[in-house]
Amino acid sequence: MKVKLRYILLFVVPALVFYTIFVVYPIGYSFNLSFFSWPGVGEKTFVGFENFKNILFGTFSEEFFSAVWHSFLFFVANSIFELGLAFIIAIALTSKIWGRRFFQTMVYLPNVISMVLVGFIWSMMLNPQWGLINSFLKMIGLENLAQPWLGQPETALPTVIMVNVWRNIGFYILVFMAAILNIPKDLFEAAYIDGAKNHHIIRKIIFPLVVPNMQTLAILIFIWSFNIFDVVYALEGVQAGPFRSTDVLGTLFYRTAFGGLGSSAQDYGLGAAVVVIIFVMVIPLSMVYANILDKRSREA
Amino acid sequence: MLRLSLPWRIIIFSLLIIYFIVIATPFGVLFTNSFKSMREIYLHPFQLPEEFSIENYTKAWEKANLGPAYINSIVISVCSIGGVLLFSSMLAFMISRYQFRFRRFLYVYIITGLALPARLAVIPIYVTLNQLNLIDTRIGLIFVYIATGTAFATFIIKGFMDGIPREIEESAMMDGATPWTIYWKIAIPLTKPALVVVGLVNFVNVWNDFFFPLIIISSRTKETVPLAISVFFGEFSNQWHLIAAALSMSIIPIMIIFFIFSKNFISGITQGAIK
Repeated sequence: MKVKLRYILLFVVPALVFYTIFVVYPIGYSFNLSFFSWPGVGEKTFVGFENFKNILFGTFSEEFFSAVWHSFLFFVANSIFELGLAFIIAIALTSKIWGRRFFQTMVYLPNVISMVLVGFIWSMMLNPQWGLINSFLKMIGLENLAQPWLGQPETALPTVIMVNVWRNIGFYILVFMAAILNIPKDLFEAAYIDGAKNHHIIRKIIFPLVVPNMQTLAILIFIWSFNIFDVVYALEGVQAGPFRSTDVLGTLFYRTAFGGLGSSAQDYGLGAAVVVIIFVMVIPLSMVYANILDKRSREA
Repeated sequence: MLRLSLPWRIIIFSLLIIYFIVIATPFGVLFTNSFKSMREIYLHPFQLPEEFSIENYTKAWEKANLGPAYINSIVISVCSIGGVLLFSSMLAFMISRYQFRFRRFLYVYIITGLALPARLAVIPIYVTLNQLNLIDTRIGLIFVYIATGTAFATFIIKGFMDGIPREIEESAMMDGATPWTIYWKIAIPLTKPALVVVGLVNFVNVWNDFFFPLIIISSRTKETVPLAISVFFGEFSNQWHLIAAALSMSIIPIMIIFFIFSKNFISGITQGAIK
């Protein structure tokens, strides 16, 4: 249908304005800001590529690359658990099993709780003195495994990652379930008539048909691994202790931009430069993702 | 759907029960601890409380500032969801129904936001809000949520509208109805299922968000529930009985909403990722 310009404007402008001012423009402005040094008040000083040099090669680089490394570990672990484990659970939940609906609802429950609150709940579970995890280990005779999970550098990051997985995996299970339930029933019937076993069906029918979803989800997990902040904040604070062993880009960025005791540097320009480096990695993927969605909606 | 032999059924069912325990236990521990005294938590962390007193709850409610926080969270969620639903459905209607220049570009431009880590741009958001005098205001937070909710809402609503037949709208146009009348009187009522889904997903996102309030809100009178809890957690660290009560009060409402609407939630989640 055709429509007059003023109606186009009436319908398009409100959403477009909000989205542009608070989502798109800030990204562009981050690029601009990354060339300045600015404590947030007063004049900005143009410093050229100084911030980037500082982050990539200078005094700030050790902290930066350690945060990048931890974010990357988050991405790898999330991919394994949130894609691999979720796929297996989704297969179980789409088979003929008792209480399917109930499990399906329960699986998603942790997802509706705020991540920061989930972090606090788990800090009770992980309390070294009376937390359930250590008490449970003692109860089943594994005293020597009981330890201050969040208090030592070797176990802190894996523990934080597992709390993150505990909360988020439900989303991935539901997506895989929907993908599996989308597969035409005749395919299964025909396979069974031909004498196929369940593991054949999983490998030859379910897996190949779910792979496209895995790809888009992997893109999302990658992008979202740069968003991680709340879980680290709740369990280990902005300092991402012990000894920065759980520091991710989100917390590093928070410290550079908004400070916090003992931060090595506090500067909006430096914070913006960290963000620009992340954006350069992420934005191409965001565009790929948007194009995939657009293509699919036009094919459907 | 796989068919399982009885032994396999039993094995998988048992594994799912274990998984259920893994999900439910933290909530169980939280709720039982919320009725205990400090001493009891340290001495008998896993027994049922000696008596179910609600003293922890009344104390924590006051000390954690949960009353005002609840009102703020409700006001902020309702306003931003109203804004997202209205503006995004208008935009989705235009993109779904009419031909105009840059239509496809506009659509891709908007849905790119589905996969942008928006919170990373928080410094410029902060600076912009500051210039608009909206730092430490609920309106500022609402604006940010309307903006960050647009991509998902437009994507889902547009997809849903594409599936609605156009005949009624076309004949209404022949009769001289304006696009606004068509949108408000015909398209919106037909789009209700999608609006419910988008509203719920957005509600959970906004209600649970911690990052933006942490940055934007600094007065205690304006803080949202997650922010209030996190301040409380910092101030009363080690007073676990009060922390448990405060945490329980902050998660029970959203759990109830989830159990009532779980079907809509689940369809919303899967549509967003699968389509």
